[in-house]
Amino acid sequence: MAVVDQSAAPVSAERSAARARKPNKLFRNLTAKIAMIPLVFVSVGVFVGFTIWTIVYSFTSSKLLPKLNFVGFEQYTRLWADRRWLQSIENLAIFGFFSLILTLVVGFTLAALLDRKIRGEDVFRTIILYPFALSFIVTGLVWQWILNPQFGIQHIVQSLGWTSFQFDPLNNPDIVLYGILIAGIWQGTGLIMCIMLAGLRGIDDDIWKAAKVDGIGTLKTYLRIIIPMMRPVFITSLVLIAAGIIKVYDLVVAQTSGGPGLASQMPAMYVYDYMFGGQNLGQGFAASTMMLVTVAIILIPWAYLEFGGKKRG
Amino acid sequence: MARAVTTRRKTLTTLAAWGIALLIFFPILWMILTSFKTEQDAVLSPPVWFWFDWTTENYVTVMDRANYFRFFMNSVIIAIGSTALGLLIAIPAAWSMAFVPGAKTKDLLMWMLSTKMMPGVAVLVPIYLIFIKLKLLDTHFGLIIVIMLINLPIIIWMLYTYFKEIPGEILEAARMDGATLRSEILYVLLPMAIPGIASTVLLNIILAWNEAFWTITLTTVDAAPLTKFISSFSSPQGLFYAKLSAASTMAIAPILIMGWFSQKQLVRGLTFGAVK
Repeated sequence: MAVVDQSAAPVSAERSAARARKPNKLFRNLTAKIAMIPLVFVSVGVFVGFTIWTIVYSFTSSKLLPKLNFVGFEQYTRLWADRRWLQSIENLAIFGFFSLILTLVVGFTLAALLDRKIRGEDVFRTIILYPFALSFIVTGLVWQWILNPQFGIQHIVQSLGWTSFQFDPLNNPDIVLYGILIAGIWQGTGLIMCIMLAGLRGIDDDIWKAAKVDGIGTLKTYLRIIIPMMRPVFITSLVLIAAGIIKVYDLVVAQTSGGPGLASQMPAMYVYDYMFGGQNLGQGFAASTMMLVTVAIILIPWAYLEFGGKKRG
Repeated sequence: MARAVTTRRKTLTTLAAWGIALLIFFPILWMILTSFKTEQDAVLSPPVWFWFDWTTENYVTVMDRANYFRFFMNSVIIAIGSTALGLLIAIPAAWSMAFVPGAKTKDLLMWMLSTKMMPGVAVLVPIYLIFIKLKLLDTHFGLIIVIMLINLPIIIWMLYTYFKEIPGEILEAARMDGATLRSEILYVLLPMAIPGIASTVLLNIILAWNEAFWTITLTTVDAAPLTKFISSFSSPQGLFYAKLSAASTMAIAPILIMGWFSQKQLVRGLTFGAVK
């Protein structure tokens, strides 16, 4: 996210430091601190407080209501022995793997296409971003219809003459994840494309000229020179996609509700069902703690790269 | 971008891009077309594309039957309310971060953004319990607060990047002329940041409008917005295919229209200011 701002940050800090040495420094600093109070309260109080609350209660045997009778890691042992949880982790891994790769590849390809200065770029950009501006619920429903065997793609292809054509992903446990994947990519690509486009536009034209002088082909220039140069952009995109994947909930609920069977269950749905349907809060807390840990594993290295490294440099 | 691109090649890439755009827009287009069909035409085999008897009867039915207007108003109230409340907290904070940064400012910004990536289910129960205790379930106020909390990181981040582009000297000049802090922010900073604030508002209205996880969990009837309305038609099975299309089209129409007229700001907002 700080892809473009990085260079600007130190300058601004110096400037404001110079400004802060003016006489009313103390007053301004005090006001500035006061101005931050609501924000700090919200981000620390609410987010940290609630997260810690959830983690603490994941070590209890809470059933219908949260109670503080600690049972150690019992909920976690049970969680990792639950077939449904294991299945949803596996589903998330498959869905996540393909979703990550395809969104990056498609997003970058579209951005490269757009970078060629096509006519009507603004309109194109808006249309590609439209799916992202829709609610997951709408996306899920739209794709539920398109993939519906009775009047969706399968039906259209069959009515065009290819009667043996079979494409019914949402009712087939073997391929249901790919049905959801299509909808997910449809929704997510636009954002990644825009971020990639920003990265491509940030690359100096001289590099292209130099590559041309050296007789390097376009494809090779992209693969060997441009993409390595866009590493920070790729990392940011990766983090954004990954965080979205772990949270995936509405999309699956709207399309399949986790079915058929357990074939498209996701961790977030597992947590939700245990908290509201299963009357087993403790295990739901344990599952959501596992999700938080995963998010932290993804975020911390990124935060270190984006922010931590710069302080020393 | 003075890269040499031949005209023929340019035409080809343009054609390819538009083909892709059509493919991407197709699901939305199909939904809109279906919403104007009769239920019989909607499931016709082979499908009819444009040459059917256009009808608005689905829209009439949906509005009559489902009390669509109330859901719509709830969406409006929640989207505008949460954005306004968010701005109220975010403007002072973003001012402070942009013009009086401390040693921890970057860390705090980073922290704010990472909360945006947190899975909502992880904090669902504590929020739910507080809602029960304070009788906030199914109220506009409760939803406004929760949705504001969820989108606050983005509001702050966007305002921060916009504020940082404003030279501090201008604010300083105002201060030298004896402006109080309040008028410095209200009459100098805010008018200069209007384009930035506008796109922040826009993006937040869209995000709040689409928020499904929390609205579905925390509302039943009174404060339920459009996302809840659509999700209540969980399984169409061909019976209400055209009507559901009409309902969904109405739910996304404001977004599509707003998006069209503000594409530039939208792109910038959605990419956290990375694309200008």
